[in-house]
Amino acid sequence: MNAFPGRWVSESAVAGTSTVGMASRSAIDVDGETDVALADVQGAALAIMRNVESVIDGKHSAVQIALTVLLAEGHLLIEDVPGVGKTMLAKALAKSVDCSVSRIQFTPDLLPSDVTGVSIYNQAERRFEFKPGAIFANIVIGDEINRASPKTQSALLECMEERQVTVDGHSYPLARPFAVVATQNPIEMEGTYALPEAQRDRFMARISMGYPDPASELSMLDSRDLTSPLARIDAVVTGAQLRGMMSAARSVFASGAVKEYAVAVVRATRDDRDLRLGASPRATLQLIRAAKAQAALHGREYVLPDDIDSLAVAVLGHRLVPTTRALGHRSQDSALLIEETVRRILAATPVPTGSQGRL
Amino acid sequence: MTRTDVVRWPLTLALLVLLMTGCAALGVVLAGSSWWLVLLIVASVVLVGSAGLRRAGVHRAVVPLLSMGGLIVLLTLFFGGGTGLLWLVPTGETVTRFTDLATSGVRSIQTQGTPAQVLDGILFLLAVGVGLLAILMDVLAIGLGRPALAGIPALVPVAVPGFVVSAGADWVALVATAAAYLLLLRIDVHLRGMRVNRQAGGRGTGITGATGAVRGAIVIGAIGIVGSLVFSLSAPVISGGAFGSGSSSALFGSGVSQLIELGQDLRRPTAGPALHYRTTAIEQPYLALRTYDDIKGTSWLPRPIEVDEDLTVDAIASPPGLSERVARTEVSTLIEIDGVRTDMLPVPVPATSVDGLTGDWYWSEDTRDISSTDSTTSGQDYVVTSLELQPTREQLRESGGRYPVAIEPSLFLPMGTPEIIGETARIVSQGTPSNYDAAVAIQDYLRGSEFRYDTEAPVEEGYDGGGADVIATFLEVKSGYCVHFASAMALMSRSLGIPARLALGYLPGTRTNTVVDGLNQYNVDSHDLHTWPELYFVGVGWVPFEPTPGRGSVPDYAAPESSTASGAPEAGEAPSVVPQPNDNPGLQSGPADSLAAEEDELPGTLARIGLVALGVLLLLLAPGAFRLARRRRRRRLLAANRAGAVLAWRELTDTAVDHGLEVYDTLTARELADSIRDRPGVGDTPRVREALERLLVATEQTHYARREGAVVDRGAGLLNDLDVVMHALRHGSRAVQRARALVFPASLTSTALRRMGLAAGTPGGA
Repeated sequence: MNAFPGRWVSESAVAGTSTVGMASRSAIDVDGETDVALADVQGAALAIMRNVESVIDGKHSAVQIALTVLLAEGHLLIEDVPGVGKTMLAKALAKSVDCSVSRIQFTPDLLPSDVTGVSIYNQAERRFEFKPGAIFANIVIGDEINRASPKTQSALLECMEERQVTVDGHSYPLARPFAVVATQNPIEMEGTYALPEAQRDRFMARISMGYPDPASELSMLDSRDLTSPLARIDAVVTGAQLRGMMSAARSVFASGAVKEYAVAVVRATRDDRDLRLGASPRATLQLIRAAKAQAALHGREYVLPDDIDSLAVAVLGHRLVPTTRALGHRSQDSALLIEETVRRILAATPVPTGSQGRL
Repeated sequence: MTRTDVVRWPLTLALLVLLMTGCAALGVVLAGSSWWLVLLIVASVVLVGSAGLRRAGVHRAVVPLLSMGGLIVLLTLFFGGGTGLLWLVPTGETVTRFTDLATSGVRSIQTQGTPAQVLDGILFLLAVGVGLLAILMDVLAIGLGRPALAGIPALVPVAVPGFVVSAGADWVALVATAAAYLLLLRIDVHLRGMRVNRQAGGRGTGITGATGAVRGAIVIGAIGIVGSLVFSLSAPVISGGAFGSGSSSALFGSGVSQLIELGQDLRRPTAGPALHYRTTAIEQPYLALRTYDDIKGTSWLPRPIEVDEDLTVDAIASPPGLSERVARTEVSTLIEIDGVRTDMLPVPVPATSVDGLTGDWYWSEDTRDISSTDSTTSGQDYVVTSLELQPTREQLRESGGRYPVAIEPSLFLPMGTPEIIGETARIVSQGTPSNYDAAVAIQDYLRGSEFRYDTEAPVEEGYDGGGADVIATFLEVKSGYCVHFASAMALMSRSLGIPARLALGYLPGTRTNTVVDGLNQYNVDSHDLHTWPELYFVGVGWVPFEPTPGRGSVPDYAAPESSTASGAPEAGEAPSVVPQPNDNPGLQSGPADSLAAEEDELPGTLARIGLVALGVLLLLLAPGAFRLARRRRRRRLLAANRAGAVLAWRELTDTAVDHGLEVYDTLTARELADSIRDRPGVGDTPRVREALERLLVATEQTHYARREGAVVDRGAGLLNDLDVVMHALRHGSRAVQRARALVFPASLTSTALRRMGLAAGTPGGA
């Protein structure tokens, strides 16, 4: 994954050095917002999905959740072993939208100011001038985020939550839309700084790619032998359209019953015997937002409990910490244990129906 | 294998079929078919109960013991007569009662002819036997895994007829039992095959083979069941035919059978109440049911009933040939029917009118028999006005002249009537000056000490019946019962040129202490069934005689002049409730008392078993009916647009649950729809899939969309979709599932449990 031709040339990511790829566009904020009807969200989302899936084979649900998170204005954490297409997904997603994209390759010596930007004294004008960091883009791809020092990580994560950067007492708002797609490698332990629980909470969802099935892997061999598939894809929606889609997603209706269900599921994680740490209220909020986005993705005006079900593992999983007893007992992977636990909780939580349900 | 057994319901069912087909073979020796249903209940409870215990994981060694306990409880309920604790738990009293029942059962088996009336005691013994056989079969077939051996206990009921009657079991029963046995083996082989398949993890061919086998098993099973049912219903007729004694027609139900089978009624150890009456007559009347005036081949036959709609019973013509000179008193008799059920009306003769009957009743011009075209005697009470005739001996003696044309057939003697009849008649009547004196002489001869009243002898000697050959034998053996005596007198009279016929009816019965309006009530029971000859005298008409010794009373005009008191007991004094009716009233008081109690309980027990069975049946049908009513109500609400998607969805969910789908409240509507779609027959057709999707979306909208603005389909539009999906669900289910959905809809319990908060909300453990 080195330099790519086309527009992505401007991004200069060189592994091993603390390099920041700058935004490919100078216009950071997408002007205005195109009104997108809910019915059209589905079509636009499908176009993006097709686009992304033309480079990522056989990862429909991962792509769908990634897109859901994008629509829900959340941040996405992609966690998996190297070489399964984490970065590819992030890039394809970013490239499908006509907006500014930047990529940060995290390394232990990357400084917070590389991310946020820095004030530099302009001698000609004799004043400090803010040089925006890599974070000033609509879509920020943070590669191998767990290799950055905690200090840098926390700088990034603060920006993610507050959607603004404060340098030398000045606050600079971040772009809208603003989404961070971070990847991390769970296997590599040497020289990494695992994200603390509090900071993982900032991500709306965590997905893992998983290995492709044999057929997908085979077709990948054919299609990517010579050129990068990324070169073949173009943006299918504008930034303004994306903002419109986000607004439409926000307007999706979540009934009391669905909210109750989300709360019940989240609360159940706090009382579960296998979990040391349950999900936060912020998780509930994000679960509902993600569910709304997914409903919008399907062109539906209301959230179903099924949306909660299908997103719960992705949205809650990375916020949960299993007990060491459960881990030792099952002697299995933590992520797997958590997924099982969430599914168990879902299977045990009654699904409320609307109050009109009497007749 | 584990210590508890794998439940194999098809095997249990096959055992039941085998046992019950085997029991149907008893139809040859037992009358009626209601006993079979009782045995079916007992066998079902034991076999299904055992299977249920195994299902519940009870240790295999304990299952037979518990089944035995269940059998005892069931017997207590059916036969305990309320002596059990809560009718169920046997007490010391119950044991005594069971012992009595068993004793009386053994006795009635010994004393009854075939086909035997299934009395309380016999039914009890049968139930015990079948229950034990069922337990044995269950242990052999399922407990020990040797279904082939289970055929041996099933052979027991099949073998019984062979010991009792020479013809042995009916071939239909044998074939049906064999078929049931083959079915059992087939199912066993099939189940073993499935187990092997499962162990081998084999699918593929195993499955098609298995369905083929299931189909075959079902076909054989159906044939077996239908065959055994048909057989059990037709069994009495078949057995009747086999004995050449005429069929026990539907005409006569409990209490009365045809003339020829009257002996069977008399041989019953206990009598059922037939009727009771009060009368203003001085002499207690004989109650005539039917006249037999035609003799064909070996038996007396009644006239075919020809109904003339003009001859209603409110005015019956004066008896033919009755002259004004004969003294008569008009008497009225109030008759209330208890047990007798026939379309012939018992009346004192000659009746002139009958009032208070329900249904259309007509009298016959030839015989004056009263019959109905549309009802039976069951439950009737009516008033008969009749004439009490007091012809004098002189009037009878002086009778002479031409017989009317209508009477002439009653002079007919069949071809080849044995010589002994005419011979005996001539010897007996030698020197008598008139027909009347000849008749009295014949009567006296038959009542004389040479002849013995015996209900058993004709059966043992093989001359039961009333035909000419039989009477010839009877006149040699000089032992028989009323049919023989009456028939002998009629034939002998005919041989002397006196018109004669037989009447079938009841003796006057037993006087009770009940007095209403100054009149004593008389009880008549099935032992009072009787046959007597009627002789025709010009100027008097048909005159009854009483040639049977020890039965009934000799009319004044027919009594020997020398001794007014005949050997016969007064009608009112004869206790009729005796195990074996015999001549000597002195012997009758002993056993009569102990058995008198039983007499009342026989119909009582049958009725109780019937009631319990009916109750159980109603209970069994109740869930299905309730479910059906609920569906109808929901469909009505939907059709009227008074309910929407949620109700439609609930109905669909319930139907899915009925058909074996597991539904938990943790399932979302969409998940449920997915599992419904996965059912065979539902997901295959786009039409059903679309209907299901529409229902689902409508439901989701109702539950989760914004209230305002959401266009929610009201019921009527959804009803069609609902019907489509439900039909597909039903259609795709196996027959067993469909039947279960109809009879035991699972949705009832699951919703009920859910409401009580008892339902397992989660799929177990997962």
